[in-house]
Amino acid sequence: MQPGLQAYLTVAGFLFAIGFAGVLLRKNTLVIFMCLELMLTASTLALVAISRFYNSMDGALFVFFIITVAAAEVAVGLAIIVALYRRRHTIQVDELNYLKH
Amino acid sequence: MDLNTILTAILLLPLGSAVLIALFLRRRGGLAAALSVTVGFLIMALSLDVLLTWNGQDFHVSTEWLRFGTYAFSMGFYFNHQTALMLLVVSFVASWIQLFSVGYMDDDDAKGRFFGGLSIFMFSILGIVLADNLVMLFVFWELVGFSSYMLIAHYYKTDFANMASKKAFIVNRVGDFGFLLGIVWCWNHYGTVNLIELHGKLLGHPELLGTHRAIAIGLLLMCGFIGKSAQFPLQVWLTDAMAGPTPVSALIHAATMVAAGIYFLARVFFLLSPFTLHWIMWSGALMTAFAGLCALGQTDIKKTLAYSTLSHLGYMACAVGLGYPELAMFHLAMHACFKATLFLGSGSVIHACHHEQDIYKMGGLLKKMPLTGITFLLASLANCAIPFFSGGYSKDSIITAAFLKGHTDGSVYFGVYLLVLFGALCTALYTGRLFSVVFLGKARSEDAEHAHESSPFMTIPLVVLGLLSLGGGWAVYGWTWGGHFTGLLPSTCVVVFAQAFKDLQEAAEKSGAATILEVVNLVIALAGLAAAYLFYGRAPAGDPLAAKAPGVYHVLERHGWFDDVYDWYVKQVQQRICDLIGAIDLLLFKFTFGWGSGGLAGLTGSVLRRFQTGSIHAYVYWFLAGVILFWALAIG
Repeated sequence: MQPGLQAYLTVAGFLFAIGFAGVLLRKNTLVIFMCLELMLTASTLALVAISRFYNSMDGALFVFFIITVAAAEVAVGLAIIVALYRRRHTIQVDELNYLKH
Repeated sequence: MDLNTILTAILLLPLGSAVLIALFLRRRGGLAAALSVTVGFLIMALSLDVLLTWNGQDFHVSTEWLRFGTYAFSMGFYFNHQTALMLLVVSFVASWIQLFSVGYMDDDDAKGRFFGGLSIFMFSILGIVLADNLVMLFVFWELVGFSSYMLIAHYYKTDFANMASKKAFIVNRVGDFGFLLGIVWCWNHYGTVNLIELHGKLLGHPELLGTHRAIAIGLLLMCGFIGKSAQFPLQVWLTDAMAGPTPVSALIHAATMVAAGIYFLARVFFLLSPFTLHWIMWSGALMTAFAGLCALGQTDIKKTLAYSTLSHLGYMACAVGLGYPELAMFHLAMHACFKATLFLGSGSVIHACHHEQDIYKMGGLLKKMPLTGITFLLASLANCAIPFFSGGYSKDSIITAAFLKGHTDGSVYFGVYLLVLFGALCTALYTGRLFSVVFLGKARSEDAEHAHESSPFMTIPLVVLGLLSLGGGWAVYGWTWGGHFTGLLPSTCVVVFAQAFKDLQEAAEKSGAATILEVVNLVIALAGLAAAYLFYGRAPAGDPLAAKAPGVYHVLERHGWFDDVYDWYVKQVQQRICDLIGAIDLLLFKFTFGWGSGGLAGLTGSVLRRFQTGSIHAYVYWFLAGVILFWALAIG
């Protein structure tokens, strides 16, 4: 049996929830970053699924843009994390609290 | 080149020199001096070129500078006979004084600053000379005040020079405040500040000057003159300004800047009502006598000359007040020559005596410094208005004018005549005193013993200006030569005063008193000189007047306690008002507005900064809360 739209969206929802929980709970900047990517992926999955089931290319087209932008974003984000580590010698968010009141 | 281009070049050259010195040559005094002196002589050459080729027609050019709504400020040149004479005085005297400075300042550490200051001064004074409207004139008027301040404070490491520069600036500001009000009111009342348009409006309408507003405008404009030319009651700054280097005293505080007040009065003569002119006349006449007397109570050679300058500015003011602005300009030019010579001579003496300024520590310098001594003598005789010397033409004609005023307008004006005549007697007395104490007799100190003639940098300007002190006035005889010269001056500059001089002589002849007046002037001058020589010539080590009449001497030394009265006023009256205003300021602004608004902002801040936890997770929760909030709002 073919899985319906409902199943795809459920998987996307789970992926998003896992990513969000990771962002909230993990302390390592790199892991938080990966979780953010997971949330992004969840949204692309939902878009592709909707695009397929409604016979429209709009969502799929949107996904191409998201992937392109995400690639750029990853490059910048990883560079920031590397630079952060060089300067502070840590990427644990609970130690990165210089902007505290 | 047309006139406009040359005048622009004359105005902007010294500014360029000042900028170059300020940017690149502050540590290279020699180069700065060379640049400044070169520019000075270039300006002199350009000015002579303008004056020798000028066709005698008034020249006016103007361009818009700033526009605020319907108000447009313009900048422009207005070149007439007065401008021609003043341009000659400024450019000629200034370049020789700059050359003199090279010798005088040879051992100074801050030559760059000094010559930069002279350049910026030249720019400012030329702006005053050429300005075609009152606003532009005021701008350069203030620039002159600034450069004067800067140069008085040249020896800024001494307290006295600092205090003197501040005093000069602040006292000038008092006068300039009235001046500014006068300009604003003039604009409001006549609708223009352009000198030519103002002249056009007032020409042939003497009744326009009779209104209260016109009188008030004249009086307010006069305030600027009172401050800059150091007339009563703002005369206190000029003598302290002698704290600056001697070339500065010669250029700014004798020959040009203080005389700019007189030039300004001659420029706006048509705006001055009879009431204003009366004030100027009486205060000028009083100043000739009062400052002349005070000069007898000074032992500092430069302060004596400063009082002499005050006295002569009094003569010029008196001439304007009597209704002879051309004679005032004539005396301005002659005075610039001989007073510059006197100051430069005193500079040469001070330099030779290792910066000793007390005349009773000099003496017998005529033999040791013959060139300085002889030029000083020439200028002294011109100062006393001995016939055939430059001052003899200009000063005596002012005295004659005062007599004629009394002769035609009633005997109360003979008071003016007596005052200026008494001023002439004082002039002869203090000049004789100065010359006999400094140059005759025996040396009274080690420094004077070993004095020797100054370098050519200093003696050449002395000789040039000394010769003009002798022959500057010969122009009135109309001896033309070379096509462009009358006497020793360019013909175009002579027209302005030679005619006034001739008219006055004719009027004096008509009154039948011409010969008597001349004899009286000569007798007073000679008697004063002789009395001074007899009284001071054999003075041992101190002032004979101080020994014989200490009370009188003390009054003269303190010049009538003007400074003390002003000190008392500032400390006791003005300070109290300031304290009161300060208390109000504290109560109203600090307690109410300061603490009130500051406290509110601080309170808000202390609450809001609690949100800045420094933890990324906290920010994520805030973000989540925000999303939920907007979601809820969107759902409704």
